[in-house]
Amino acid sequence: MKKTLVISGSGGQGVMSAGIIIAEAAVDSGRNAVYLPEYGPQQRGGTAKCTVITDEEEIVSPLASKCDVLIALNSQSYSKFKKAVKPGGTLIVNSSMTGQTENIDGFKIINVPADDISSSLGNIKVSNIVMIGALLSSGADIIGKEEMTKTLVQKFSSKSGSADINLEALNAGINYREK
Amino acid sequence: MEYKRPDTLKKTPSGFCPGCMHSLATKLIAEAVEEAGQKENSVHIVPVGCATLNLVYWQGDILGAAHGRAPAVATGFKRTNPDRLVFTYQGDGDLAAIGLAEIIGAANRGENFTVVFFNNQTYGMTGGQMAPTTLIGQKTTTTIYGRDPAKEGYPMKMCELLSTLEAPVFIARYALNTPKGCTDAKKGLKKAFDIQMGKGGFCFIELLGNCPTNWHLTPLETLDYMENNTVKYFKPGIFRDKYKDEVK
Amino acid sequence: MAKELVNGCIAIAESAVRAGCRFFAGYPITPQNHIPEYFSHRLPEVGGVFVQGESEVASINMVYGAAAGGTRAMTSSSGPGISLKAEGISYLAGTQIPAVIVNISRGGPGLGSIQPAQQDYLQATKALGHGGFKTIVFAPATLQEAVDLTYSAWDYAERDRNPVFILMDGCLGNMMETVKFPEMKEPDRNSTSKWNLYRAKDVKRSDRVLSPYFPDAILEMQNKSRNAMMKRWAENDVKVEEFMIDDAEFIAVAYGIAARSAKEAVICLRKEGYKIGLIRPITLNPFPSKSFNKLDYSKVKGFIDTELAIPAQMRIDIQAEVLGRAPIYEYCRSGGILFDDEAVYSNYKKIITEASGNGI
Repeated sequence: MKKTLVISGSGGQGVMSAGIIIAEAAVDSGRNAVYLPEYGPQQRGGTAKCTVITDEEEIVSPLASKCDVLIALNSQSYSKFKKAVKPGGTLIVNSSMTGQTENIDGFKIINVPADDISSSLGNIKVSNIVMIGALLSSGADIIGKEEMTKTLVQKFSSKSGSADINLEALNAGINYREK
Repeated sequence: MEYKRPDTLKKTPSGFCPGCMHSLATKLIAEAVEEAGQKENSVHIVPVGCATLNLVYWQGDILGAAHGRAPAVATGFKRTNPDRLVFTYQGDGDLAAIGLAEIIGAANRGENFTVVFFNNQTYGMTGGQMAPTTLIGQKTTTTIYGRDPAKEGYPMKMCELLSTLEAPVFIARYALNTPKGCTDAKKGLKKAFDIQMGKGGFCFIELLGNCPTNWHLTPLETLDYMENNTVKYFKPGIFRDKYKDEVK
Repeated sequence: MAKELVNGCIAIAESAVRAGCRFFAGYPITPQNHIPEYFSHRLPEVGGVFVQGESEVASINMVYGAAAGGTRAMTSSSGPGISLKAEGISYLAGTQIPAVIVNISRGGPGLGSIQPAQQDYLQATKALGHGGFKTIVFAPATLQEAVDLTYSAWDYAERDRNPVFILMDGCLGNMMETVKFPEMKEPDRNSTSKWNLYRAKDVKRSDRVLSPYFPDAILEMQNKSRNAMMKRWAENDVKVEEFMIDDAEFIAVAYGIAARSAKEAVICLRKEGYKIGLIRPITLNPFPSKSFNKLDYSKVKGFIDTELAIPAQMRIDIQAEVLGRAPIYEYCRSGGILFDDEAVYSNYKKIITEASGNGI
């Protein structure tokens, strides 16, 4: 089934690389995927956004108006794109940046203090992977845990130690439960 | 030694105006190509201007380029045909005005081909307009009272300008108004071709020439004019010679 | 070979390498920077040459020089850079040197926007430079199509001794999608050995002149043969996707990224019982005339030109085929604003409802 995911945050938070990793994992598991970045001048800061669409069937259009899941890595992204989530959709929010977000009727909201988790693991750069972990346990059915683990290992195994920290971050995201 | 027309020039009239030093320059290049043993191996990148006439005058492989773009065309050709002797032959409007970016780009990359720059201080083909090298006070169809530095700036010295770059290996200027100037020019051309086929590197040969038609002088009068004006501003000499002791 | 997830620019660049392209010259401009960046490390791996030109003008002329020697060569840019290349593209056509030029297009005119748009349609199809020449223009809508069209581009260019142009917007150029790359072809200068300036060692041939300048009578003869070539394109080289047009009352016409939103809308509207179809030109030039001329105009109630261009540009080609036999409606955005599927769907619905309400 066609699934659309939007990831947004500020430049440097790993928005684009998270999108690519998810798309790669979908392709590795035999599905079709489109990764659509919003590009701008190559400067730091500002809002970064990308869309990932996965489907067993051919993906006709990548220009989806609404998404099934939003991963928001900061407050601006959350306010800007929460309206783009389909009714019944899932919002995964980096609560280290936004604070605890309020429930919205008809939506599933998951608060994950991704920056706190990644900092406690010793590398704040893996917040995006923590969020992917949260996506895996969100029930959104975009990507499976095994597929994602395989892709992460494949992608980072050449860089010494980086596969380990990424897998730790992924598992921390998967296992995080809101109190 | 036999004095004859080089095989590298077709046995047809050149098409250049009587007394024009383009004929002389083309002959010197042809002789230098042959003396460098590259008769069958040369590729002449022909520009836009009077030198476009070489399309029908030159014997050898020829590639016609857009106005000013010969160094870019030569870059593409030489990089993919590194064994060929590649040279451009460009006038002052082509090289020092519309093609300024291309000549500086190619020189700065140190492309391994040879640029021959024919500087006669005017646009010949289009009827004698001001060139970037037109001398101060020189009358042209677009500076009818003479070039005024306050409005048109000063004549551009291309050898000096290119000598500010690191990459070029041989930069020299010769004046074709004397027999000695001609023999020196041929030596310089031969050396540039030898460098290209040997050590490699960007070589730039400027040839000071005339334009009897647009200067409104007889061919003989242009020789004196050059001695008294052109050569005083554009001083002949060798500006860069990286392989001075290795390539004669 | 397995499918890979690749970026649109890299899809084109890698496919070009596999087609035997061994020379690239280009200049940085968004949104096509992945193309030169990729070539800069990929070409040396296969014995090819990458040059970062001092300008767009220089880059296209470097391609001219390399292609004159029989090397498969390419350059790419976006809107403003293509304008600068216009002179060189015209010289390629005039001197009859085959090469491939890619435009990853953005909003215009002027510096415009770096965001995706389809505002270079007229430039690409009608006047890529001075002198009234044309080239085949490919407009992929998926990255697999970008791969396949790029792979074949030199075969057309060399067959015709004429440049081939690929027009793809910045959205396709920057997104990633799954593609399967074709096998590696070895570069072979023999495909152009009748005219190129390459000299194989120990092979004698007579001297050759590749000139952009011709005496009047010869130039007219060449222009006549160009004209005949364009007619052959129209007969033999049209590529088009026709989607559900057999019984269609309304037909969307769209290419590139716009066509993907258009197709999505057609699928949704069909489910609701609307008789709508899509004509998607894959070659913008030659334009798919037959797709329009085989229609039963007693049934067709209208066309919907769907472009990321305001004013609409492809419209004049649609008009030239439809010849007043049905109205042409428009749904367009421009300036770097993309379509979104819902908006295309609802605008189509609105156009159909209003047109039907008007008793057409």
